[in-house]
Order: sequence, then C-alpha cells, then structure tokens
Amino acid sequence: MPSDAAKEAESAQQLEQVRTLLLGKDNSRITDSLRKDARKIVAEVITEALHDRQQKDNSVDKVLQPFVEDSVQTSVAHNREQMVTSLYPIVGSLVRKSVAAFLSDFMEKTNQLIENSFTIKGLTWRFKARQTGVSYAQYAASQTFVYRVEHVFLIHRETGLLLNTVPLGSENKSDADIVSAMLTAINDFVGDSFLTSDDQLKEQLQSVSTENFNLLIKPGPSALVVAAVTGNPPQSISDQLQLTVENIHSLYLEDLNNFNGDNQQFGKTDGLLRDCLLSEQKEALTSKQKTPWFAWAIVLLILLYSGYKGVNWLKTSQLHDKIMQLDSQPGVIIKQLEIDNLKAITLDVLRDPNAIELTDWLNSNALNAAHFTIIERKYYSLDIPILHQRIERVNNTYPGVNFTWQNNLLVLSGTLSLTKTEQLLNTLGLAGFTVGNNLNTAQLQLATSQPNADTQQVKQQLANEIIGRIAALQLNFPVAVETITPEMQLTLKRLYQYIQQLEPLAQTLNLNFGLLVLGSSDNTGNNSTNLTISLQRANNAADVLQQLGIDKTKMFVLGLGQIDINDITNSARTVMFNVILTNND
Amino acid sequence: MIQKKICLLGASSVGKTSLVKQFVEGIFSEKYLTTIGVKIDKKTITFENEQIQFMLWDMEGNDTYNVFQERYLRGAAAYIIVVDQTRTSSFHEGLDIHTLARQVSNCPAVLTVNKNDLPATWNIENNENKVYKDLFDLHFSTSAKTGENVEAMFLALAKLLLKG
Repeated sequence: MPSDAAKEAESAQQLEQVRTLLLGKDNSRITDSLRKDARKIVAEVITEALHDRQQKDNSVDKVLQPFVEDSVQTSVAHNREQMVTSLYPIVGSLVRKSVAAFLSDFMEKTNQLIENSFTIKGLTWRFKARQTGVSYAQYAASQTFVYRVEHVFLIHRETGLLLNTVPLGSENKSDADIVSAMLTAINDFVGDSFLTSDDQLKEQLQSVSTENFNLLIKPGPSALVVAAVTGNPPQSISDQLQLTVENIHSLYLEDLNNFNGDNQQFGKTDGLLRDCLLSEQKEALTSKQKTPWFAWAIVLLILLYSGYKGVNWLKTSQLHDKIMQLDSQPGVIIKQLEIDNLKAITLDVLRDPNAIELTDWLNSNALNAAHFTIIERKYYSLDIPILHQRIERVNNTYPGVNFTWQNNLLVLSGTLSLTKTEQLLNTLGLAGFTVGNNLNTAQLQLATSQPNADTQQVKQQLANEIIGRIAALQLNFPVAVETITPEMQLTLKRLYQYIQQLEPLAQTLNLNFGLLVLGSSDNTGNNSTNLTISLQRANNAADVLQQLGIDKTKMFVLGLGQIDINDITNSARTVMFNVILTNND
Repeated sequence: MIQKKICLLGASSVGKTSLVKQFVEGIFSEKYLTTIGVKIDKKTITFENEQIQFMLWDMEGNDTYNVFQERYLRGAAAYIIVVDQTRTSSFHEGLDIHTLARQVSNCPAVLTVNKNDLPATWNIENNENKVYKDLFDLHFSTSAKTGENVEAMFLALAKLLLKG
C-alpha cells in the first residue's frame, strides 16, 4: 500500500512537471499568449458578454451607472458648450414634461392634503397619531401602505460603520451613522450573548420588529443591508435585500475587504440600495364599502342652486338690457330700473307727452306690462324726433309757411302777417324752438301791410296797436326774485320786435317815442326794500332790452315799490312796459 | 468622509462617559450602557482640512461583576484606555483590559489619565509605572470636568490615524 501511495505521489509529481513544462510556471505560457491577443478576443465578445450578463442579473447597468454619471459630470464641467448643443433639441420637451409632472404632483399632493386635513378620516388619523405618540406622517403611512421601506442602510460588518444610506424622501437622516453602529452593537450583543449555532458560527439578527415597524437585516460576509420598514413586510423585500447584498458583494468585495473608514466609493451603491425602497399601497376598501352619498348630495345641491342662480342672473341681465333699450326712445328717460325677479319690475321714467306710450312699447317688445310697476313723470323733451312731431302739428295750422329742417335747425320761410308771426313764434317757443339755437326765421317775410298803411291814419292805427301790445306785456316775478328767466327773455324779445316795428312807423309819422320800464313789488317787507327790489327788476329787464339792441336813452327805468291796491298789493311782483309818444314838432 | 471606530475602555467610574459627554453628538441615553454594555456617540474632527468622524463606542466599565466585552472591539481603528489618577487600582485594571484587548486587536491604543483636576494618588512618571507607558501609542492627562486636553487627545488620535 505504501508503495502504491508513493507511486501515485510520484506520478502526480511527474504530471505536474509535464504541466509546468507545457504551460509554464503558473500557466504563464497560456496567459502570456492570451494577453497578446487579449484586446482582439475581448473585443469580439464584449457586447454579447455584456448583454448576457445584464440579462442574467441586471448587474451591468448598475456597474456602468456611476461611470456614466461621472462622464456626464465631467462633460458638463469641461465641455459645457457641446453638452448644451447636444441637449438643446430636447430641452423644450424636457421642461414641458417637468412642468407637467410638477403640476400633476402638486395636484396630487394638494388633493392628499385636503383629504388628510379636512375629512373625518384625516382628523381621526391625527387624533390616533397623537394618542399613539407617533408623527402624523408616520401614522398616515402605516394606514395607507401595507408596507413601505422608509430607509435602507449599507453597514460595514466588521466596524459597524455606515457605508451608504438611502432614505425614501429627500430628508437625510443625520443620525443614520449612529443608528447603524448601535445596530451592529446590538447584533453583536445578541449574536454573542444568546445564540451560538452548532458549527460555532455566530448567529445573526435577521429582524427587529415592533407592532408596526420592522428592521430587516440581511447580512453578507463583509456588509449588511438593513431596511427600515413600516407595516408588514412581505417575503419579496427579504428577497430583494438578499439580491442587493449579493450584488454589492460581487461588485465591491475588494473595497469592502480593504475598507479603511473612507465610505466615498460606496456612494455608487445608491442605485442598488434604491431597488430596496419598495412599498405597496392598501386597497381603497372604504371607497367600495360606502359611497359618501351625503357629501355628494350637498355637492349636487350646491351645483343646482348655483346653476339656478346663474340662469336667473343671465335672464335678469338679458331683461335688464332689453328694458334699457327704452331709454333710447325719444322723449323717454329711465331714471331707475329695479328687477326684483322676472315678474316684479319697477320702472321709474320721465316721459314727454309726445313720446310713445310705455305700455305700447312694452307690448311691442314682447314684455308683459302686468309685471311692471311704472312710475311715470312728465317732462318736456328737446329730442329731435319729438321736436319733429311737434312741428308736424304746427305745420297744419300755418299753410303759408314752409317748415324745413337743415341739420336739426328748423328753417321757416314764407310770408305771414305780424299777428300770425307772433302766434307762430309763441307756439314754437313753447315747443322748444328758439331763434339762434334751433330756429331760423330769417327767410320768414312779414306780410307787409305797406299798401294798407299808406295813409297816415292807418299808420297811426298800427302804431297804436303796437303800443297797445307793448303795454299788454308784463313780466311776473316770484317772491323776492329779481332775475330774468328764459321765459321772460322770450317776452322781452317780443317787446324788442315790437319796438323794431314801431321805430319806422314813428319816423314816418314824425313822432318821438320812449319806453317806460316800471318795476313793482308786493307789500311784504318794508317799503325801502320793496322799492329797491322793484327798481332792480326794472333795471334787469332794461339791461336785457339793451343787450337786444334798444338804445338805453330811449328807456326810462323806474322802481315803483309796492303797489298799494287792495286786490293786487300782495302779488304785484312785475315789470310793466309802456310807450310814450310825442310829436316831433 | 473618513469614519473611524474608537472604543473607550476602562474600569468603572474612571470617567469614560464624562470624558466624551461634552464633545459629542449623541442620540442614545446612557441606559444602553447597562442594557447591552455599550453606547455609541459620534464626534467629527477637522484635521488639515480633512474631516474625520469618530464613532465613539463608550463601553461599560469593567469590575468584578462585569467582564471585558471584547466583541465590541471588533473592527476598531483605535481604543482609549481611561484610568483615574485618584485611584491606583484603576490603572492596574486598565493595564489588564489592555492586555485582554491586545489579544483580539492590534490597533493603536491610547492611555488617558483622567480627573487631573483632582489631587493625584499615583503618577505615570514614577519609575515603576513608566515602563507601562511604552505599551501605548499615545498618552494624555485629561480632565472631563474642565475639558483639559480632551480635544487635544482626539486631535492627536486623528493625526495618528490619518498619518498612519
């Protein structure tokens, strides 16, 4: 037997010698020859190899990711222009997408906020979170998710130092390093103190659990991956942790073994650790169980009410616009329009007697007059169509006169006797026409009584008639007023016209004439005041006559004071006129 | 950032916990010391523009009833033996702990003679004690009460670990 063993050992030794001769020491001949063509050999299969490995365990992209990130960072730092040029075509859509994502996220968060803050469920959660002494966010997460990985730690097994950590949110737990060290201490404590397996290998803590919180620990030979999970973690998390710990060991084994406290190179494990941030949302059972009919009913009522109000407002607004068209009718002015509802409308208007009847207008516009409360007051309109109407009526009584309109100016032409002219001017004055404003009488000829007035006697008669007319004119003033009103102006104009007619007659009859302007007052107040006011009235009338063209020297102005005649003494606030005729001889 | 695990060892009541209390950021209460025998705090030190973060494993003091818990020494970059200058016994216990620690770790060791604000009952510079000084890479005389030399000790340790 020993000889057999010796033979075997000898043959093995010879075999080793032959192998060394053929392959060189440590297979150096093979490796040397391979190295010569290494580039070519690798180049031939590298793409396929990467593809196969990626298919197998998805590890290629995780290894490449840090390189890609570094290259992009370098490009951004050093070849900014080139990066900008390359990215320019997609920046627009990137921004749009980003804004859209932001808006959608914002809406979702707002929705959640409203849901969590104002609903009964939200308030109950807040109360319960307070009762159990956890933060609202934590409680809400525990109620919303079946489970959720909140934080993943990568811990160096030997030293308990934190290599990397990935939180679910953006907040970074600054105490993660102390937590990981303490966890290692507890792990060591448990492993050493209580549990020792038969093969003398120390037991590892696999999980630490409370009612609603779990620390899942997945140990590898050199590092641990720990996941902090709320809720009830399923097996899939454990599987994912296992996969991650294996991947990290295969990729970073050397770094882990030579770890000297510098955790910088483990920053690249972010992607791997992020794969462990799993969660599952609870099914919204409550929504299936009960539909919030009450809330929906309120929403529906609000919608109906606002719809009704909206339609009502629209109809009211349309009706208002329609009624306001009445305001454009000549001789009608709407002072106030109140629409309480569609059947109770108050319409306050001013209406010229010549204007259209309100009920007629309402009927012609398909409006029910019964719904209206009309407050109508009369006024005298100067609207052009109304003036036209008035002229129509005057027109018929003066067949010898032509009434023509030139741009809202009424032009009278034709021939008319003096008396008729006065009547016509009077009527037109009342109808709202004044010479110089909207009336032109330049072409109106007086029917000359010249043939008839040839004889002295006739002329004398005519002069007397004019004097009589002048004496018949009288201005009546209100109490304690001495100013000349527009109506008085008309009277004074007529007086002026008489004087103009009288002047040539007086000349031909060889007579001189003067105008007496006599003011009077009532008997209220003392005598001197009454004298002053009567004089003032007479002076004012004389001033107007002077402006019209009567020479002041032809006028004698006198204040009579109060007129002590029983029946008239308390209302004799007048200015009277008279003409004195004298022979020129 | 560079992180280093540093263990604080020593007999009971020598002032290990007090020594670091004022200079660390911690989140755990001291009850952990008695429950699992260790409490961990951290301290960040800047040395020559480089930051180093010490994870300070404050271990429960050893006495007759508490054996030295070597498991917590695993992976330590250095350990600090704290002794009390008012009690000679603490020095001897510290040397015993050092001997035990050396069996599981070869990392740098620091001797800190604490409570230097109180009158000393023994001196490291004595002939009989001097020989033990060489067992340690660094030694300091500190006061947790006044804070004397505490920062300096951690700074020197950072220097030793970064240069070494």
